[in-house]
Amino acid sequence: MRLRTLEYFVRETFSSIRHNGLMGFASMSTVALSLLILGLFLIMVLNLNHMASTLESQVQITVYLEDSVSNAGITRLANEFADMEGVKKVTYVDKKQAMERFKQRLGEQQGLLTALENTNPLPNSFEIQVDKPERIKMLAPEISELPGVENARFGQEVVEQLFTLTKIVRIGGVVLILFLALAAIFIIANTIRLTVFARRREVSIMKYVGATDWFIRWPFLLEGMVLGLAGAFIAVLLLAEAYSALLSQAQATLAFLPLIPRQPFLTQVSAVLLASGTAIGALGSAISLRKFLDV
Amino acid sequence: MIIMNNISKRYPNGSVALTNINVHISKGEFVFVVGPSGAGKSTFIKMLFREVLPSSGELFVNGRNVVDMERSEVPYLRRSLGIVFQDYRLLPQKTVHDNVAFAMEVIEAPYREIQKRVNHVLDLVGLRHKARVYPGELSGGEQQRIAIARAIVNNPVLLIADEPTGNLDPDTSWDIMKIFSRVNRNGTTIIMATHDKDIVDSMNKRVIAVENGTIVRDEVKGVYGYEA
Repeated sequence: MRLRTLEYFVRETFSSIRHNGLMGFASMSTVALSLLILGLFLIMVLNLNHMASTLESQVQITVYLEDSVSNAGITRLANEFADMEGVKKVTYVDKKQAMERFKQRLGEQQGLLTALENTNPLPNSFEIQVDKPERIKMLAPEISELPGVENARFGQEVVEQLFTLTKIVRIGGVVLILFLALAAIFIIANTIRLTVFARRREVSIMKYVGATDWFIRWPFLLEGMVLGLAGAFIAVLLLAEAYSALLSQAQATLAFLPLIPRQPFLTQVSAVLLASGTAIGALGSAISLRKFLDV
Repeated sequence: MIIMNNISKRYPNGSVALTNINVHISKGEFVFVVGPSGAGKSTFIKMLFREVLPSSGELFVNGRNVVDMERSEVPYLRRSLGIVFQDYRLLPQKTVHDNVAFAMEVIEAPYREIQKRVNHVLDLVGLRHKARVYPGELSGGEQQRIAIARAIVNNPVLLIADEPTGNLDPDTSWDIMKIFSRVNRNGTTIIMATHDKDIVDSMNKRVIAVENGTIVRDEVKGVYGYEA
């Protein structure tokens, strides 16, 4: 392609956007809105994912031992656990430590413990962390079977609910995002159809003087891409502001919430949105051009 | 230049526009196509730049097989042609200069070449002084001259004109015909569909008369042959 031709395309694109100012603005806003919702959902899904995997990675098996197990038995069990596939970390918590933790958790209500006098009903235990949360379900029953083990527990229900929830959010997010993208494509297609319609005389003259199909298509395609990109840009600016605000709010009041830090997350989301905006614009144009340029 | 062998055209709605047309037109000829409205003149003209595809038969324009042509080759066929319409078909938002230059821009001609050729053809139609004016400010005859300038700016081997004087008064029509004659003298073949009896009768050129989809008359130095 000649440089001059490229210059011609760019000139045509922007003069067309100028001439159809209102329509251009309308479609840009719609793309911005669609991508804004798309972006919000993307951020939500990614954050939920992040939360889910944070929680998942915190899930561990707690193994309660029978009081009769000797120190040698405890060491043997520790080695046995450590040798199991997928086990990352084995921590021994003896009765005393368990009581200390319990006291801490009770905080100001420690007085309750005086009722126990000096007995300690808490068992010795192991905390086992594994590499993949899915592995817990297999390991826990296996460990329960070992001699000296009273039982092995993990937040079975919580983990399973978490898995279902993240799955629902992921699938729901993908479906919603697809619908929004389709809507945006449809809107762009409509706008480009209008610009092509407004310029059909020009298009027919171009055909009579021997312009190739691609020569005619490019300015419209570029117009769709510019509108899509501009819309995406607006959405990205709004989202970046909103997310930064959310993060500083969360830090002040809900510090435990495991939100994804600002960078490089926002840059990645922005890149995705800008690319989608451009692609949506191009696709929208392509769809309306297919029908309209068959002269 | 143009070879039509047994060309027929039936439109999808069943109406038959042309039946068994056989025509040879050589390079440099000036040909009028005449006939009543609805006789098939328009179809005849439109086939030449493949706006309409024949239903059967062979058609060669400037050595190109128009019937078997790929869709992607059509632009290159049209680049060797100049087309002039009754309604001028200029772009109102472009100046006269840009309207003419447009025909060269879309075929990606170099900038210098465009400037040179546009000025040249505007001189040829006598409207170089109107280069910066918009078509809306011009008379019908001037607009048609601009349309002709656009049609010839790419040095076509064949100029096709469909009722180019249909909207013009007799004096203005003669201006147009003078330009056509000059273009023809430079070697460009011209095919012109027309209803203008005076022009056909005085130009003394080849006349092809189409009636009911067939050629009823093809005379080397013909006359219009119908009541005006």
